[in-house]
Amino acid sequence: MASIQIVDMEKHFGEVQALSGVNLEIEKGEFFTLLGPSGCGKTTLLRTIAGFYHQDKGDIYIDGELINNVPAYQRNTGMVFQNYAVFPHMTVFDNVAYGLRVRKLSKEEISRKVSAALKSVHLEGYERRTPDKLSGGQQQRVGLARAMVIQPRVLLFDEPLSNLDAKLRIEMREEIRAVQKSLGITSIYVTHDQEEALVISDRIAVMQQGVIQQIGKPWEIYRNPQNTFVAYFVGKINMLTMRLDEGAEQGLRRATLGNLSFLVPSEGTEGMHEVIAAFRPEDLIEAAKEGSQNEITGILKTVSFMGSLARFELNVEGQEITIDRHRPREADMPQKGAAVSFAVPTQSMLLFDPKTGRRIGKGGRR
Amino acid sequence: MSSGVRTSRLHGHRPDIWSLVIFAGFAIVAIFLIYPLFDVFRYSFLDKVTKTLSLSNWKTFFSKAYYLRAFWHSILIALLTTFFSMVLGIPLAFFTTRYRIRGTNLLNTLSVLALLSPTFIGAYSWITMLGRNGFLRLFFQSIGINLPPIYGAFGIVLADSLQYYPFISLMTAGALMTIDRSLEEASENLGARSMKTFFSVTLPMILPSVTGGALIVFMMSLSNFGTPMIIGGNYLVLPTLAYNLYTSEISQTPGMASTVSIVLMLCASVVIVLQQWLSSRRKYASMLVNRPVVKRLKGIKSLLAHLLCYFIVFFSTLPLAVIVYYSFRKTSGPVFKPGFSLDSYRQIFFDVPKTVMNSFLYSLIAVLLIASVGTLLGFVIARKRNAAVRVLDPLLMIPYMVPGTVLGIGFIVAFNRPPIILSGTATIIVLTYFIRRLPYSVRSAASILKQIDPALEEAGINLGSPPGRTFRTITLPLMQGGIISGAIMSWVTSMNELSASILLYVGKTMTMPIKIYLSVADGYFGTASAMSTILLVVTGLSMFIVNKYFNRGSDTFIAA
Repeated sequence: MASIQIVDMEKHFGEVQALSGVNLEIEKGEFFTLLGPSGCGKTTLLRTIAGFYHQDKGDIYIDGELINNVPAYQRNTGMVFQNYAVFPHMTVFDNVAYGLRVRKLSKEEISRKVSAALKSVHLEGYERRTPDKLSGGQQQRVGLARAMVIQPRVLLFDEPLSNLDAKLRIEMREEIRAVQKSLGITSIYVTHDQEEALVISDRIAVMQQGVIQQIGKPWEIYRNPQNTFVAYFVGKINMLTMRLDEGAEQGLRRATLGNLSFLVPSEGTEGMHEVIAAFRPEDLIEAAKEGSQNEITGILKTVSFMGSLARFELNVEGQEITIDRHRPREADMPQKGAAVSFAVPTQSMLLFDPKTGRRIGKGGRR
Repeated sequence: MSSGVRTSRLHGHRPDIWSLVIFAGFAIVAIFLIYPLFDVFRYSFLDKVTKTLSLSNWKTFFSKAYYLRAFWHSILIALLTTFFSMVLGIPLAFFTTRYRIRGTNLLNTLSVLALLSPTFIGAYSWITMLGRNGFLRLFFQSIGINLPPIYGAFGIVLADSLQYYPFISLMTAGALMTIDRSLEEASENLGARSMKTFFSVTLPMILPSVTGGALIVFMMSLSNFGTPMIIGGNYLVLPTLAYNLYTSEISQTPGMASTVSIVLMLCASVVIVLQQWLSSRRKYASMLVNRPVVKRLKGIKSLLAHLLCYFIVFFSTLPLAVIVYYSFRKTSGPVFKPGFSLDSYRQIFFDVPKTVMNSFLYSLIAVLLIASVGTLLGFVIARKRNAAVRVLDPLLMIPYMVPGTVLGIGFIVAFNRPPIILSGTATIIVLTYFIRRLPYSVRSAASILKQIDPALEEAGINLGSPPGRTFRTITLPLMQGGIISGAIMSWVTSMNELSASILLYVGKTMTMPIKIYLSVADGYFGTASAMSTILLVVTGLSMFIVNKYFNRGSDTFIAA
């Protein structure tokens, strides 16, 4: 039995359709992320599960129980808020104890549980502090301890790290992941940071305009995007629109872009005259001197040295593409304005229908 | 990120306690505002003789110089008061914020005390100083200066300006303190001299606050009843005219009093609308990266700046000091004798202990009502913006534009006949305090709530606490300081209320401000002084408590 089930959910605010046709099943103990740009409906979905919004249509099940009409305070979900929402008039101890007191636990039990929760977020000894004496990271740890100490049926994270600085964000996401795994509480995590989503999640749902675009493991989302939106939103990707020649041979089809010629997988391209070929910046290889298959030649517009990699922006037949070179060496760096050549391995290419933006064919390199 | 508008927070669509609060809000507005004000409106269109719908009262108003003159008097007094308040307030604000003036806190405290003290006390004190045998008048005469008679326009503008200028000085000082210094530095860096900088950068930046303060002063002066009543003599302004008309029409329909009331209310509404428009239009956001520097003045310049600031504040607090002084003078009936005694106080506590009691009791009950109802309605307005609340919100602001005199007349005409008879009761006095003060309380509760992150309440709900418990354990404790300091300010204004209650009191429901007015009218200055001193002490103590325990600056007092 799934831990969380969302069936055919719809929600609109005035004219705006915030959620449409949302279906989800989240497994027990799973770390599930809702990923998308702002306004995509991810927070709306989270707040609807918490009971702060009521859906116009559709059902929510937690552990098989239909909770549509259960008020927010009886849903037993533990929410971690974007701006911490630590009660400023209470000590750290009282903050964490709040939910336990509502549940009328004994004093000893409250004190034991609060101590254990604070320990697991590395805040032992902070019991008597007030929130104004805590850093942002510490406040969010209090928020996390407060949410998990009530042993909720599901932990809900609403962009919990977006107010922290970059370094702390990386530290905290490791911690959240570790605590979640050790407790085994099903978690739903909302973020717009694709890197964070890839690192922290068991599975990801990418959302746009209230619709779930794709659900999958981080690898699948990155390597096997099902439409151009997902491909664009997660990681960096190059897309070149090419003309397809007639006829296929051994599962390959010839495609042209200006003077350039490519061999692309033919699967699913029957009857099409144009295709979007997409590939990640790190998938390009240097072209051989005597010429390579799928060779791309272009004029170098910018060269950015970023430490562990160098990033080249190329103008290819009027379209921009990005190429990443790992472990760059100064001697090998070409100059701006130079004509450079790279090659795209056919198996790295993902094809999309230019009309619908949908993926053509299966596979994609894992 | 937030997805769209956050509607129907927390409780979904089920009817709950908050629906009841919204309903109560509408009921209060309908019964205690719309009904009495409509009655005033109706009477102004009712012919005195035939008791039929007619424009006769309005024709009278616009054809008789007696009425029109009061209208022009009101406008003139308000304009002059605004002008002189600016003359006093702007320099005081500028010097105390930009230059090091010793004892700035003391100056602020004293000017706020002058602002909050009952208006009639200041007016009456000026009579003792500048009246026919007033010591100041005699002093000026001795050095060859003959002042105009205190009764009339001169007295009203003098007392009003010295009472209300803190609105301007405090609001201007607030703006001056939050101008980003880099702006002035940028101007100087671009080659502007300091005078040029002041007029081209500083002044335009503080102008919205100055005009905001000026409109408040205009409004206060326009609807002020106590000062012109005591010091105005035959110089009638709209509030005193309405009062006089009401008392003379007591046996007939209050047609002319109602008509004058409507005119007064219209004037007030125009000012309020102007003020709202202005405050919504121009506000310069300040990032407060660079606070302005307080410069040190040297030698003669420093001395002159100090003299100016202390002189302004000294003159505004002088009337209060004089009152306190007279309250301890020996008296025999209405006559002051040499030497000091507690006669006047003894007289109050033996003769009219009930009056003192009434003031404290009515204000206390009113404040409990104001704070609780105001907080609940403020919560609804800040947190539950549904269609009904959007209608209720502006309705609750009506008392802002109803001068006390108008509300008093409305209450007395509406509540001396079925279905609701309240005339002559203590309830009607408490209700006037309540209604007059309600919008401030609602506004202040709503603005406190706007500073409380709704996520805190959601966190409470999410952790399993029902809405009621969440309000009690999260929201209320966070609002507490603001509610209590707001309540204390309401208490002060209720204690000092005169303009509405003077129309509604009967012997057994007399309050201190009414008694002071009557004592002054009868020439019993000793009793009036002693009672005024009590009110001043209450006002001062309340200010002290708000400052000390709730850590709120002078801004609270002008917002309150």
